[in-house]
Amino acid sequence: MMPKRSLVGILMLLLCIPVFSWAQSKTVTGKITDASNGSPVPGASVTVKGSKAGTSTKADGSFSLAVPSSTTTLTISGVGFESQDVAIAADVILVALKSTSANLNEVVVIGYGTQRRKDVTGAITKVSAEKLTSIAAPSFEAALQGKAPGVQVIQGSGLAGSGSVIRIRGIASISAGADPLYVIDGIPVIADAFLRSNSGGMNQNPLASLNPNDIESIEILKDAAAAGIYGSRGSNGVILITTKRGKNGQPTFNYNNKIGISTYANKPDFVSGQEWLQLRQEAWENDGNTGKAPLPGGLTWEQAQKNNTNWWDELTRTGFINEHSLSMTQGNKFVKSFIGATYGENQSYLKNNSYTRYGLRTNFDFTITPKFKATLSAAYNRGINKRVPAAWAGGLGDAMSTALPIYPIYNDDKTWFTGGANPVRRLNETVWRNTDNRLIGGLMLDYEVIKNLNVRVNGSYDYLTGIDDQWESSNWINDNSKPGIAKRSPYRGRNWVASATATYNWTLNDDHRFTFLAGTEFQEKSFVNRVYVEKNSDRPFYKNKSLYDHALDSIKQTGTPLTGPDYNAETFASVFGRVNYIYKERYALQASIRRDGSSKFGPNKKYGVFPTVSAGWTISQEDFMKDIRFINFLKLRASYGLTGNSGFPSGQYYSMYFAGTNQYNGGATLYPSNVANPDLHWEETANTDFAIEFAALNNRLTGEVAYYHKKTTDLLLNTAVSPSTSFGSGYRNIEGSEILNQGIEFSANYKVINNKEVTFSVGGNIAKNYNELVSLGGLSADAAGGGSNDTRVVEGYPIGTNYLVRYYGVDPNDGLPIWYDKTGKLTKTFSLDNRMPVGSVVPDFIGGFNHNLTYKGFEFSSLWVFTIGGNIYDGSGKRQAGVITDWVIRKDQLDRWREPGDVTKYPRLTMNTGTYAGLSSEWQYNSTMFLYDASYLRLRELSLGYRFSAKTLTNLHLKGARVFITGMNLLTFSKYPGGDPEIARDFENPTDRNLSPNITYLTPPQQKSWVIGINVNF
Amino acid sequence: MKKAIYIALLGCAVMTATSCNKFLDRKPEGALTEEEAIKNDADLQALLNGSYSDYSNKVQNGKYTWIEDLLGDQANGSLYTGDDGEIFKRKTSIFGDYKNGMYTDLYRPAYVGNNVLANIEKATTSRNSIEGQAYFLRALSHFDAVRMWAQPWGFTADNSHPGIVLRLQTAITPGERNTVKEVYESIIADLKKADDLLGDQVTLGSPSKWAAKAYLARVYFLQNDFANAFTYADQVIKSNKFQYDASYANRFSIGLSKEIIFGFKFIDNNLYPGSELRNRYRSDVGFSAQGRFHITDIFYTAATTAGDVRGTAWYSKTLVPGYNVLTKYNKNNFDMPLIGFTEIKLIRAEAGAETGAANLATAITDINEILTRAYGGTSKNLATNAVVATVISTTRRERELELIGEGNRIQEIKRIGARSGTNVDRRGGRWNCPGLALQFPISEQAANASFKMNTEGGCD
Repeated sequence: MMPKRSLVGILMLLLCIPVFSWAQSKTVTGKITDASNGSPVPGASVTVKGSKAGTSTKADGSFSLAVPSSTTTLTISGVGFESQDVAIAADVILVALKSTSANLNEVVVIGYGTQRRKDVTGAITKVSAEKLTSIAAPSFEAALQGKAPGVQVIQGSGLAGSGSVIRIRGIASISAGADPLYVIDGIPVIADAFLRSNSGGMNQNPLASLNPNDIESIEILKDAAAAGIYGSRGSNGVILITTKRGKNGQPTFNYNNKIGISTYANKPDFVSGQEWLQLRQEAWENDGNTGKAPLPGGLTWEQAQKNNTNWWDELTRTGFINEHSLSMTQGNKFVKSFIGATYGENQSYLKNNSYTRYGLRTNFDFTITPKFKATLSAAYNRGINKRVPAAWAGGLGDAMSTALPIYPIYNDDKTWFTGGANPVRRLNETVWRNTDNRLIGGLMLDYEVIKNLNVRVNGSYDYLTGIDDQWESSNWINDNSKPGIAKRSPYRGRNWVASATATYNWTLNDDHRFTFLAGTEFQEKSFVNRVYVEKNSDRPFYKNKSLYDHALDSIKQTGTPLTGPDYNAETFASVFGRVNYIYKERYALQASIRRDGSSKFGPNKKYGVFPTVSAGWTISQEDFMKDIRFINFLKLRASYGLTGNSGFPSGQYYSMYFAGTNQYNGGATLYPSNVANPDLHWEETANTDFAIEFAALNNRLTGEVAYYHKKTTDLLLNTAVSPSTSFGSGYRNIEGSEILNQGIEFSANYKVINNKEVTFSVGGNIAKNYNELVSLGGLSADAAGGGSNDTRVVEGYPIGTNYLVRYYGVDPNDGLPIWYDKTGKLTKTFSLDNRMPVGSVVPDFIGGFNHNLTYKGFEFSSLWVFTIGGNIYDGSGKRQAGVITDWVIRKDQLDRWREPGDVTKYPRLTMNTGTYAGLSSEWQYNSTMFLYDASYLRLRELSLGYRFSAKTLTNLHLKGARVFITGMNLLTFSKYPGGDPEIARDFENPTDRNLSPNITYLTPPQQKSWVIGINVNF
Repeated sequence: MKKAIYIALLGCAVMTATSCNKFLDRKPEGALTEEEAIKNDADLQALLNGSYSDYSNKVQNGKYTWIEDLLGDQANGSLYTGDDGEIFKRKTSIFGDYKNGMYTDLYRPAYVGNNVLANIEKATTSRNSIEGQAYFLRALSHFDAVRMWAQPWGFTADNSHPGIVLRLQTAITPGERNTVKEVYESIIADLKKADDLLGDQVTLGSPSKWAAKAYLARVYFLQNDFANAFTYADQVIKSNKFQYDASYANRFSIGLSKEIIFGFKFIDNNLYPGSELRNRYRSDVGFSAQGRFHITDIFYTAATTAGDVRGTAWYSKTLVPGYNVLTKYNKNNFDMPLIGFTEIKLIRAEAGAETGAANLATAITDINEILTRAYGGTSKNLATNAVVATVISTTRRERELELIGEGNRIQEIKRIGARSGTNVDRRGGRWNCPGLALQFPISEQAANASFKMNTEGGCD
């Protein structure tokens, strides 16, 4: 369990570390402005040249810095500006910074180090902190949507705490995980979306508890040059998260909050009770029956006609959002510290559903001696997710399926109606809460062995506990002899990384700069479940701790271990190296290699080697470009390399048996569980990347165009095992298999107006990815399916192909559906043999565009996101808009055939699948009748802010203050009739997750929210 | 120079640091390799025990029975939807998790049987019993599969029509269908070996030689091979190890039934056999007409004639108003019989009538015992000189009444069709219509593109 006491102890200790103040000699003050328009530059760094002592400028561009009296020169730098050295000629220094293009001197975090932007030879997109916290997104990764070219972010429904699906440059896997590797301050963290499977019909998100306000920047590594250093885990891209660190100077505090409301972005429309009865009766009579149609739920027609329950309204509300964060930074020559705390509650629009986040982070950077430095980072996050079931599990899913408008909430005697689905009863008679505690800590020691040779040792620990608490009332369990039942099932994840690197910088004749990196890293990750406890109780265990402790004691006394065995334990042992060579500040070369061994790989393929090479050429530095004035910066970039994907469970290569925990007739039991595969290994991707980075028109136009080509082989497949072997699955690499992803990304930003009073810029990005399963070793389309989502893998088509029978339309004469057979001939007999690749979950284009307008202190900005092309398949449409069963009926179903001559979208209603020849059941109605265009345009963010002037702030003794109002998901334009077009339903397994984004199955629509907030520095 | 040494040293340290293979060995905790798991008699028996446990929890927990009864003609299925509706309408498709999941699960006894046989050299003192159980389990897998996924014995004159995949080795290979003839030959051969190898003692939960013989009787009976069916039924009955339950409540009870030849024993906190029977047939708790067994009016009338003790013991029209429900399984727990004395008596009765001569008298005695119990006296008994046709028709009727809710009916529709070409299905289906054989899971074809699937539907 979470060592809460020891955690508190550690934090107290850290807070008690004495913070020495720096002996002052003189104070220099000044103001930094933008040379192009004279506006103040906040956040610019002011340091003593040759030292790291310094401060940063306030909102009005001013600074005040105590420096040793011997100091003669300050270095001023700011993001987006050229650095400038300024002599301390007066006590007040005024500096106008010249803007650079493409943030050339910006420091970019790369794997195991940092680089100047202009030296980077790989594809890296940096997203800064303020872009992550602008909206009330459920989790930091959801806030990346539309902000990085080639990065597809699909937020995972409107449930509080749900996870997103992120795809970087397409998808290159079938049965292995295709999510990027998340690395927080050097530790690849636990981000497994299946830790609680898809319980409750929700995509789980272990990252949700992390505090977005702790994040300084996110770097997304997209190609082999950038991600290759992560070897067998780099194929899906890497998301590097860097947390905030202390800055030099007196303590500075930041407080920000968001308060707002949330509702749903979109909702499907269903018929009323009366309409439902009419449609059912129509179906009944169409089938040749007379009299009244039989009704589900044990209701008579008379009873049913009285009811018209709007279950959607009964289950939803206006949610409240309430977030507060406070942080402090300060620094001196011995220690720099950052301390941040957060509390935030995000109620979704579903009743009883919310995510509450508590967080505390302390980051310290010690300079023990000039050669010996240490950094200590620790964060504790707690997420409390009040859960409600959704989708197939009930709740709002019931309102979209089996909770019929003809069902009442209560019977006439005021008891709950139990004849059919009653999600209101469940809402009131059950409680469900997930609690996630997460501790991420790391200690890094850096020693300069000799000049320019630094050795760094790093140990990090990522510890996670998750507790699932459920409570069911006596009414719910139909047992009045009990006060109710409390249930608890906790799990724990442990993950440590130890690494050692050596970096050597070597400059020869000023023209040749080399950086050598060599390193080794070990990682171990494992999970255990704590014993499941169920007890009679009138409240959940978190409100009845003594009962839970007592239950554990009783279990202990029986000799049953309280924790189960480790599962999903995996290890990696790696060595890696990288050489960077910069010639004349215009040619950059990089080569890297990583060798990974893992407990996941079979004995015949224990180690994988992943080399990369890359180069960059800053053409604008060449003499022949000097005369081309309108181009300020131009760089070509190319890379090639191998990366791997090892996102599959550990230990799969063994032939395994498990001793049963049960007995059979008093005898021991033994169960075979897996078939041996000593050749099991990673999937391998050969990546090629070309890009042009540019700045032109006096740096007002900046941008990047990139082309990539990724060929993935040795695909892992867990399915297509003959079921008569009695094994439904087994991981293996398919010989000759290949997936191709190639695409183009374009991003640009243009400063339309840029003067002291007004700035106006527009920007955006668009990416096109071509995805194709080139070969699956000859296996058929049904070799892998996306759960129950009718998506398949078909050679020659994208991963996640909608594999359906093509619907032609309705025969106006008899109202029966007409289909295409495989050859394209029309037929009235439905057959699953006529399924074809007809669509894809992969969009043609994804992207976003934004504007930013400032006038004096006002700032008005927007972000639109879009996808063009691709398909949405409505898995629930089979029953909401198909055969009339005991499900609710979507309003578009009203467009159905009723009499000869009717030209309609949907066929004649029926209650008998036999009416439509060849259809075996409504579940097997896999047809394009429920396939839609997935294109949509969404106003993702709209924000109006006001930054208070320096004068006002000075009177208030503040360093900076901003107020804002922001809306999320305000407008959606889509042709999809089933509700929200941004869909990542709950997934059954990684294959489903890979194949079935854009497939909906009663998925709750996204959240729409408005928040107001303030952000104050003091 | 100094630099070079530092760099070289560091490089060496880094490169040697990862040569620890043990760190990279993370066998899932608690998992055993085959060498560790299977060493001796006890281990082999544990493997067999695991298979019984799986089989009782995932296949013969009522799931197999429920699918059989959906295919039969006693259920009123007008409100069934989804997988239930598809099976009920006798037009299963390549999908359908309910049947597809069971398909995978019912092959586990065959896998375990093969695994045990592959390791049989490790057995010493209990070798015969272990080997006999392995053959027995393998036969059960194949028999369950062939009854559900293939057309019956007699569908073609030489039984060369496609059967199911025979799994006689543990290798994970793509499946190929064997003919029905080959499948039945294999089942019979396995059961005969089990008969030779298994012991005489009857313990609920473990197969004895009598279980093997009882299954042989059932297999031969389904082949309409009455001479062999009679022989094996006769041997089981004459073992005197089994007897009628006086009360119908005892057939599904905890420890009260004396009829069970092979089945699973309820053990609290350990094994709860028959869970799906309770889920699908229980009428006293959680009944829903959309997902539970309730019978047609026509069959209800036939099953509840005046004087029939079973009518009051097993049916109700009032428990759930508007529905004819079974009360046979209205219990929280019970032992789960898979093959019992009543069925063996019914087999001997019908096989005796079919073979005639001296066996006819045995047949009449057998069916009269059943009738006496059913009607609380001898009023409905057949005359000792009853003609063959009467004995057969009475036995068939009593079989249906005795084995209601036990999945028997669909096998009879097929068997009688194969026997005489008559269609006894009250839903008007042909005994050999394609949809009466379930469609294979699509994954068989995914693993083997040339896998021959069944024809779907065609039973309307």
